[in-house]
Amino acid sequence: MGSFDWGSIWYAVPYMLQGAVVTLEISLCAMAVATVIGLVMGLISVSDLTALKVVIRAYVYFVRGTPALVQIFLVYFALPKIGFELTAFWSGVVALAFNSAGFISEIIRAGLQSIDAGQTEAALSIGMTNRQSIVFILLPQSLRRITPPLTNEIITLVKTSSLLSVISITELTRSAQVIVAERFVPFELYAALAVYYLVIISVLSWCSEYLEKRLA
Amino acid sequence: MSAVPLLHIHSLSKIFGQIPVVDRVELTVTQGEIVMIVGPSGAGKSTLLRCVNRIEIPSEGEVLLEGVNMAGEQRNGKFAPDRPVVTARKRRRIGMVFQRFNLFAHLTALDNVAIGPRRVLGMKPSEARALAAEQLARVKLSDHMTKRPTQLSGGQQQRVAIARAMAMKPVLMLFDEPTSALDPELVGEVLEVIRALAEEGMTMLVVTHEMQFCREVGTRVLFMDSGRMLEDAPPRQFFGNPQHARAKEFLRRVHAIPN
Repeated sequence: MGSFDWGSIWYAVPYMLQGAVVTLEISLCAMAVATVIGLVMGLISVSDLTALKVVIRAYVYFVRGTPALVQIFLVYFALPKIGFELTAFWSGVVALAFNSAGFISEIIRAGLQSIDAGQTEAALSIGMTNRQSIVFILLPQSLRRITPPLTNEIITLVKTSSLLSVISITELTRSAQVIVAERFVPFELYAALAVYYLVIISVLSWCSEYLEKRLA
Repeated sequence: MSAVPLLHIHSLSKIFGQIPVVDRVELTVTQGEIVMIVGPSGAGKSTLLRCVNRIEIPSEGEVLLEGVNMAGEQRNGKFAPDRPVVTARKRRRIGMVFQRFNLFAHLTALDNVAIGPRRVLGMKPSEARALAAEQLARVKLSDHMTKRPTQLSGGQQQRVAIARAMAMKPVLMLFDEPTSALDPELVGEVLEVIRALAEEGMTMLVVTHEMQFCREVGTRVLFMDSGRMLEDAPPRQFFGNPQHARAKEFLRRVHAIPN
């Protein structure tokens, strides 16, 4: 390990911290959008809104069946063609949110459907509508079950954000690549990059564990 | 009371696949009747009950509550099925108690009872809770209002479930084997609550295997087998002199009449 170039890692710190901030900004924005859209889609998936359900099935089918990288390219290159001019940053947010919302809606749907059918029957029997039973009975009970898979999805989202380096967003991964190109120290920088991601994701996991305990 | 019966069921069938689980049942119930429904398991008793408040959608036939069709209404000579919101509104009039209690797992006993008045009837939170406290007092659970379902015994849970249904001020109560999931020593407290409701004049349909209770509290006993309503008689007559061979066999099996 004598040849390990610590100097380059120190040199990269300010750049990579800046990249980490961009990664966090994009991830948090995408996370917020994906959670809201995913929640709404998940709720609709268990409702009686048949037409919307078909649309959501198709959406999930597409998101699940295509690579995130392809989705990122589609958002970045195809949206401007149909009149949506977005900066690279917001293209990144849209692409990540688009991807993640599909998976989150499935997580919510599964969580809601895992609640015993007797709960819905009881809710209907006191005169609740299907919608009321979902909102007041099923959703609160499924929150705790949803938290672990939702955490997984959010971690995946943060890691997927590394793919945004291909559409010239200088997030964490790209900031490392820039230094690699400049100083030609791939091993050191990619090792450091892994550590940066580990730290970010450890914080996320810790938040999730805390939340899960609170919901118990 | 009025000439319109409280509940009228006409030619009601529920078909799962090819099999009629409930087969062309006719039933008229007037206010204050305590109707016990008995029969072997798989006879369609629970399904019949669930068709009354449309937790299960009947395949054929109709259910009228106080003359109002539970499925829809005639408009310009045509039958128009109810929208889900209307079905929900009609369902409020019918209380239901389930075999497995089905208390809302995330709510305290008090909130289990209050959530209907609060969310369905639109009462203020304070009013809904006051009503819930009153209903829980009636089932003698005032000391357990802040407990979650998992902290209550089966008998206590079922009494909360009865209070939850009663809080909606129903005109008809459906009991679907209310004591079948209980430990034997807890059956009595639940039956006592149901008996008290019966004495107050609550109209009810009770699917039960408690023959003693059936005999003492029921004003009428229905015997079902293979989806058919085979016998409809006052308890004394049903237990003393069952007409149908299958009713006799059933009563022998449950030791309600000597071998």
